[in-house]
Amino acid sequence: MGEAKSLLVIGAGIAGISAALEAAEAGAEVVVVEREPYVGGRVIRSHNYFPKMCPPTCGMEINVKRIERNPRIRVLTSSQVTAAEQADGGWRVTVTTNPAWVNDKCTACDECTKACSTEVKDPFNLELSKVKAIRLPHLNAWPKRYLFDREAVPEDEAKKIADACAYGAVDLDAKPTTEDIEVGAVIVATGWNPYPIDKLDDLGGTFDDVIANVHMERLAAPAGPTAGKILRPSNGEPPAKVAFVQCAGSRDVNHLPYCSGICCLASLKQATYVKDQLPEAEVTMYYIDRRTPGRNEDVLLKVSELEGVSLVKGKVGRIEQANGSLKLHVEDVANDALIEAEADLVVLATGMAPAAGDLDLAVFSRKDDDGFILDDLGSNVTVAGVARRPEDVASSVRDATGAAARALIAAGRSA
Amino acid sequence: MASIPVVQSSSEFRDTFFKRGGEKAARCYQCATCSSVCELAPANAPFPRRQVLMAQWGLEDQIISDPGPWLCHQCNDCSVRCPREVNPGDVMAAVRAVAVEKMAFPGFLGSMVGNVKKTWPLLVITPIVFWFVVLFVTTGLGEIEGHSNLEPSALLGQFFYDSYVPHSLIYIVYFAAVGWVALALFIQGSKFWKMLGTRQKRTGTLIGALTGVFVSIALHSKFSACDHGVPKRRWGHFLVMWGFVGAAITSGWAVVYLYGETIFFSWFFKIFPFEKPGYPVEITHWVKLLGNASAVALVVGGLLLWVNRRKTGDKLVGSSTPFDRFFLWIVLAVIGTGVFTEIFRFLPGITPMVGFGVYIIHLGVVLCLFLTLPYSKFAHILYRTLAMAHERLTSN
Amino acid sequence: MDKLGVFLCTGCGIGDAVDVDEVIEAADEQGCAATLTHECLCAPEGLEAITASVSENELNGILVAACSERAKTEEFASLTKDGLVMFRSAIREHCAWPLKEAEDDEDKTLCAKDMVQMSLARLDGMKSFEPLQEEVNDTVLVVGSGRAGLDAAVAAAGLAHPVVLVETADELGGLLALQKSIPPEEPPYDKPQPNPVPGLIQEVKANDLIKVLTSTNIVKINGQPGQFKVELNGSSGLEMTVGAIVQATGARPYDASKLTHLGYGSSPDVVTSHEFEKMLLDGAVSCPSDGRTPKRVTFIQCAGSRDPEHLIYCSSECCVNTLRQVAELKVLDPAIESAIVHKDMRAAGLMEHFYLATQETTGVMITRGEVNGVQTNGKVSVQLSDSLLGDNVAIESDLLVLAVGMVPNAADGELIRELHDSRHQAEHSESSQVRENSAARAEELVDHEGTEILHLEYRQGPDLPALKYGFPDSHFICFPYETRRTGIYAAGTVHAPMESAQAGEDGFGAALKAVQSIEMAKRGEAVHPRAGDTGYPDFFLQRCTQCKRCTEECPFGTLNEDEKGTPELFTLRCRRCGICMGACPERIISFPDYSVHQVAEMIKAFEVPEDYEEKPRIIALMCENDALPALDAAAANGATWNPWTRIIPVRCLGSMNIVWLAEALSRGVDGVILIGCKFGDDYQCHYIRGSELANTRLDNVGETLERLALEPERIKLVELSHDEFGRIPTILDEFSEELDEMGPNPLKGF
Repeated sequence: MGEAKSLLVIGAGIAGISAALEAAEAGAEVVVVEREPYVGGRVIRSHNYFPKMCPPTCGMEINVKRIERNPRIRVLTSSQVTAAEQADGGWRVTVTTNPAWVNDKCTACDECTKACSTEVKDPFNLELSKVKAIRLPHLNAWPKRYLFDREAVPEDEAKKIADACAYGAVDLDAKPTTEDIEVGAVIVATGWNPYPIDKLDDLGGTFDDVIANVHMERLAAPAGPTAGKILRPSNGEPPAKVAFVQCAGSRDVNHLPYCSGICCLASLKQATYVKDQLPEAEVTMYYIDRRTPGRNEDVLLKVSELEGVSLVKGKVGRIEQANGSLKLHVEDVANDALIEAEADLVVLATGMAPAAGDLDLAVFSRKDDDGFILDDLGSNVTVAGVARRPEDVASSVRDATGAAARALIAAGRSA
Repeated sequence: MASIPVVQSSSEFRDTFFKRGGEKAARCYQCATCSSVCELAPANAPFPRRQVLMAQWGLEDQIISDPGPWLCHQCNDCSVRCPREVNPGDVMAAVRAVAVEKMAFPGFLGSMVGNVKKTWPLLVITPIVFWFVVLFVTTGLGEIEGHSNLEPSALLGQFFYDSYVPHSLIYIVYFAAVGWVALALFIQGSKFWKMLGTRQKRTGTLIGALTGVFVSIALHSKFSACDHGVPKRRWGHFLVMWGFVGAAITSGWAVVYLYGETIFFSWFFKIFPFEKPGYPVEITHWVKLLGNASAVALVVGGLLLWVNRRKTGDKLVGSSTPFDRFFLWIVLAVIGTGVFTEIFRFLPGITPMVGFGVYIIHLGVVLCLFLTLPYSKFAHILYRTLAMAHERLTSN
Repeated sequence: MDKLGVFLCTGCGIGDAVDVDEVIEAADEQGCAATLTHECLCAPEGLEAITASVSENELNGILVAACSERAKTEEFASLTKDGLVMFRSAIREHCAWPLKEAEDDEDKTLCAKDMVQMSLARLDGMKSFEPLQEEVNDTVLVVGSGRAGLDAAVAAAGLAHPVVLVETADELGGLLALQKSIPPEEPPYDKPQPNPVPGLIQEVKANDLIKVLTSTNIVKINGQPGQFKVELNGSSGLEMTVGAIVQATGARPYDASKLTHLGYGSSPDVVTSHEFEKMLLDGAVSCPSDGRTPKRVTFIQCAGSRDPEHLIYCSSECCVNTLRQVAELKVLDPAIESAIVHKDMRAAGLMEHFYLATQETTGVMITRGEVNGVQTNGKVSVQLSDSLLGDNVAIESDLLVLAVGMVPNAADGELIRELHDSRHQAEHSESSQVRENSAARAEELVDHEGTEILHLEYRQGPDLPALKYGFPDSHFICFPYETRRTGIYAAGTVHAPMESAQAGEDGFGAALKAVQSIEMAKRGEAVHPRAGDTGYPDFFLQRCTQCKRCTEECPFGTLNEDEKGTPELFTLRCRRCGICMGACPERIISFPDYSVHQVAEMIKAFEVPEDYEEKPRIIALMCENDALPALDAAAANGATWNPWTRIIPVRCLGSMNIVWLAEALSRGVDGVILIGCKFGDDYQCHYIRGSELANTRLDNVGETLERLALEPERIKLVELSHDEFGRIPTILDEFSEELDEMGPNPLKGF
């Protein structure tokens, strides 16, 4: 590879991290900009990956080591690209870093948390639980630095918390900082947001015991709100009948017109979470098409053979609350019959909405009607992961590597 | 394996069907949301998922012999929730329209009404012209001006149409028409009933089922199930239906009344309370009241439906085709001309010529209504009733 | 290292938990050149204090006794330059925070002292080192010229690397070249898109950096990343050196002659999707039987895919490709009716738009259904059950198209190797039993005869090892380009079943990985997962006994053998996992910063009290990738456990040498617990087999222990996932209780 080229990666989810690492290990200088105070994006919130049923933190551990060993990567957390303009063949971007109130003197000793009495809903657990206003974002957070929801805390308590830190890491006078960065090319890896469940009122999106697949990941995670126990939010009891409702807001012109590509496998995977913990539980998955491409057909085979797991062709049209449990209205297409199925926990397989869908920056210039961003090689922008198309983790990483290659080529061409 | 039915998709049928308002059926991917949200679908024979599929594939025979489309009251709950904008409600309406045409006896009338967009002038003008001709031949239109009975009476400025359109004439024509309609309906009905029978096994008799069906229809209970789909549609349709029933009774009574002298009907006025009213019948007489009440019901009901269409969103209303509109216009024409015919009797300064003209048009439109009834949207009275009966006899 | 300094942090509660002076004393006893305590070593002041002490005392090795090396990594890494060797001891996470301690007891201090002494022993054995400097060739060899191969060539050239593109056929383009169009890759995703292959072929031919060799095969490849020696046949018997290799040999259609149940062969009017594509390409769709234009065409999906009798997996591209063929057919002849029978319509992701558009524009009749049979008498009749009409139906048509799946054009290097080994055994083994078994095994593997593609001259076989279903795919979700043959990357449909768009993307990705491996070789760095590690193993071959364990066990085919069986090291293939080091009974394999000796010294270094009642001792060998992070998380999460356990981080359980176990037990240590990644089909070991190999080594150790009258249970292996921090206290305390029941190690005090 020719002279070192510099890249900017927007987003430090699995796609952004991978694109950055592959480019940097190939010799490029890379700056990664991440909005959250830690890296890992969506995947870090998942319990296990299909089809291997392995925890995402395991791969992230390696990636973090790769970042730390690599002198060519800079990761800016709590930061956002606030302006971007094309400049001599590449881009000049302005990155604004918001005050995190905790600086890199933080040793993660936890004294500040002990001094903090205010609790907030834990965004990492998708607000399924409460945490202290100052805390380590999650157990394997990198950078290993505490975050402070300062707005949630009264001034006097904030002072108390600051004094509790022996290392002067809590900086109440922190100010936003901006920095201009010139790069040869930009890799957009802004990822996705879960489609909001409360928009699915026909499917009971507002009921306690109707949760989204992303919530199920937290419920099953050892570090989750229930320490890994799958419980009904309404009463904290383990469910006896769990229903997975596929295409909840996907393949639907009233919501997301496209297929999110991962939900079938996610639900099949989550069915194993349930069966592993609650062998007695009845699990039913209602689908339109079972989309488990490639080798992942294994997962479909394995799960559909499990005792007490059944797959029904037919999309759930309506969900009602009926004396403490839930009633699902669906046509069992194979038997040409309407059924009213009971369930005490319903998991809506909600899809992925492109996170940059409504962001308006020059680097997001090429968008499709769904808000997914497309490569713009003419102006040295490539796109990685779900920012480009809905897809699973392995595909995201593969595409991220490809996007890194195209970005390096573009940057090299105009260097 | 040989006995397995062959499904043969037919683009020709698909195209005709799509032209009749079912074109979105092509988009369907069979998720069955529509069936699962339908309040009327029987658990053992859900619709409209299956019907949309048959439409998409162009399975003509199967689709017209299916009760589902007739059990559907088109509340469009399905269309609102369909994830692919297939508008199953419209598809079902299109299926009904096509079914009416395909089952028509004789076929050519069916396709005439089916293609009303082109044929409507023919359908409307012919009966009117027919009346002018008949009257010209019988009474001779030229003499009307000088007709003696045209002197306004002392009471009101009213004049009597029967003085130059002999009722006998009217009844000859309409008895024939009604007879014809009855025949056509009977043939079509029994055909449809047989088709239904071949699909699902029935237990019990048609007559047995009808009582329950009539109660349900009388109260429009099916519509109430639909209500969140199309609010107030129930009462609009309720009034219109009863309006027609009232009108039917009125005219029926009138027939009997006029022929009260004859041996066929003399027994009628022996029965209390039918003492023979004076002639012309008093405006306060129950028949007149019923007649006018029916007219009001028709007008109000019609208005309700119309207002409702304006208020609710497209998906909820469903799109309407010339076939639907033709039926509406005819009904409105009948009501309109009927009402004006009466009004013009009393309006001072209305020359008989005008009232008379309106009256003849009224007679023509009514004749048109009669003759197209088995092939127009009106036919749903027949098919829906039978389908509902079939449902009762098949739902275990 | 001779001049060592100990720097003890007293911050984060360490100072309160342990008696700092005692720990420093212990360090002094080891005779180190400098000691220092600081209330916050990671703060700039702390770091300066260390630097000052280093220069003042001319230290060449420093022990940072503070927090886990997963904390403050960059801060402390900044200290290690110009040959200064550092070791970090996690007093905070392994001692001060989590250890249970009775009132006025000093177990934590004891533990801290042990940790410092162990670490110093380790540090003592560590050597400073320079990265490897080797002559590295920049060229990327791309094998196969389908879409993935072409894109890989374009990409590598775009990254300013010379490319040699080798194609066995006489034309470029592979299977995709025979396709009329491809599914849409650009919005609005509503109609087929022109085939990019012809354009790519032009681009490749026009590019000066790309050398194209058609009708060419590989005769042999040996060497290592940056230095692969490649011998080619074909037009000109070429020899060349390349830096890295992309295998994009694609896939072939599944053999339709096996699909008699779908009527293939029973009538010429039953064709494969590829035969039908040819008709589309020629612009003339007709029934092969009599050349008439079909009125109806039916497409059957998953023909031989998702089928236990044939291909179990889904070939990923067939559904969308059939939609494309239906769309093309409509353009060609709008009068032709088409129908699709599928198990599930897999138009995933944005292809949903294409699915809808195709339905609208073609009026295609689509049903799911199980195909029960196909009758071909004049018309072709497909009999279905479980159709969308709920009942059994038949669909009649004039032409039936079977959407056949894909089979990778790959060879399974390890199985080929096994075939050859078994053959050899079957002839030369002394034991008749072995001869029989080997002969039988060879028979099982005979299909792999002559399937070689890359012809690698590797001890562990001539091609990439294949995963399930014969795809040389990556086993890792997070690392789809992970390969067990360093510098060789699979791309496209040989890699995994995929659509043409993904194949193109994969070509770009694999090209970058190839370029990356070349660039890292130049810097003497290891590639994933220890990316950037510049240390490399040293083999003291004078003491080698040719036992071949290292060459057998290396998961990455790093080592070849000479005829005597002496390992031949190809350093640039090495991933630094240390599995060879763990395998070696002679302990002749060492890394400068990690060796059998160094860990053995740690085991020797700490105090084992003789009066068991008071103080049992346990050693925990923990994998630094998953188990150790889990332990950090547990400690940070406030978990506590017994104070008897001394933790020794290992690169991978596979690097565990049984000498360590012997050493520990002979010193009177009561038990050793090994905590590593899950193994089995869904193994989580980043070095493929590390924890599994450790487990098999323990089987052998078991017998030895019994001979020594020691309970085999004194050694235990536990599988742990990265996220199972909650199990850590239980695992450690349960083992301590088990040992308690066994009583003290009888060898104590000898």
